Amino acid sequence: MATATYPPPPPYYRLYKDYSENPSSAPEPPPPVEGTYVCFGGNYTTEDVLPSLEEQGVPQLYPKDSNVDYKKELRSLNRELQLHILELADVLVERPSQYAKRIGEISSIFKNLHHLLNSLRPHQARATLIHIMELQIQQRKQAVEDIKRRREEAQRLLKDAFVTLDGQ
Amino acid sequence: MDIISQLQEQVNSIAAITFNAFGTLQRDAPPVQLSPNYPEPPATTTATDDATAFPEQPKQLSADLVKAAKQFDALVAALPLSEGGEEAQLKRIAELQVENDTIGQELQKQLEAAEKELKQVQELFGEAADNCLNMKKPE
Repeated sequence: MATATYPPPPPYYRLYKDYSENPSSAPEPPPPVEGTYVCFGGNYTTEDVLPSLEEQGVPQLYPKDSNVDYKKELRSLNRELQLHILELADVLVERPSQYAKRIGEISSIFKNLHHLLNSLRPHQARATLIHIMELQIQQRKQAVEDIKRRREEAQRLLKDAFVTLDGQ
Repeated sequence: MDIISQLQEQVNSIAAITFNAFGTLQRDAPPVQLSPNYPEPPATTTATDDATAFPEQPKQLSADLVKAAKQFDALVAALPLSEGGEEAQLKRIAELQVENDTIGQELQKQLEAAEKELKQVQELFGEAADNCLNMKKPE
């Protein structure tokens, strides 16, 4: 079993020699990265956005322009998928050499399906947020009611105590 | 699992059923005569086993496919897509934030009043306990 030594610490540790006496004499940590950055040879971006289908080179089979009726489009894509699978079965029986085009169409239908489902995620996130906020409001209302009730109970007990004390 | 993940899983399983179906059928198909020039392919070697199970495979596989597609439709129907529009949701979030703030402030007020009363009661109780102790002379 070959072992290797740990890599040495980065050389700028010397800049932090007086950190315990004077924290501002050492350099600040680097600011967070914005925009695109390269990590291990791959390009990443800090903006989380679902890339549109055209950017991936896939034809878009459902109508664009905001407020797509998701249910209707998902159902019609499902129908298209079934039809294409049947066509593929036919092609494999009759003209087996033409399968590639059909498979390309089927895979683009799948990509459209997944893209539609992914574009539902922001909607789901907002709906989850709304649900959590409603729950929190309900809990706070419950807490307010509880505190009111307990305070009134305490007041009542004190009054009773005064009455019994005065009665003696 | 949430409904969108279930839908995604269903799409993937439809794809899996499809390629498994075609793959199995291609693998298990008995040989077929291509042209009248070539002799009939030998129909021996496990012809009996194929003959019983083979014609049922496409039926089962297509039944699976149709079931998976119906399940997908059922899941799509179960999508809770109320309130069309991102703006409606954002408006609702803003309303909920305002309501949350007001009720938070009221909760804070009640809490402070209750803590004040608790402190008062604790002081009174301390005084009463001291008086009791002072009044009760040891025999």
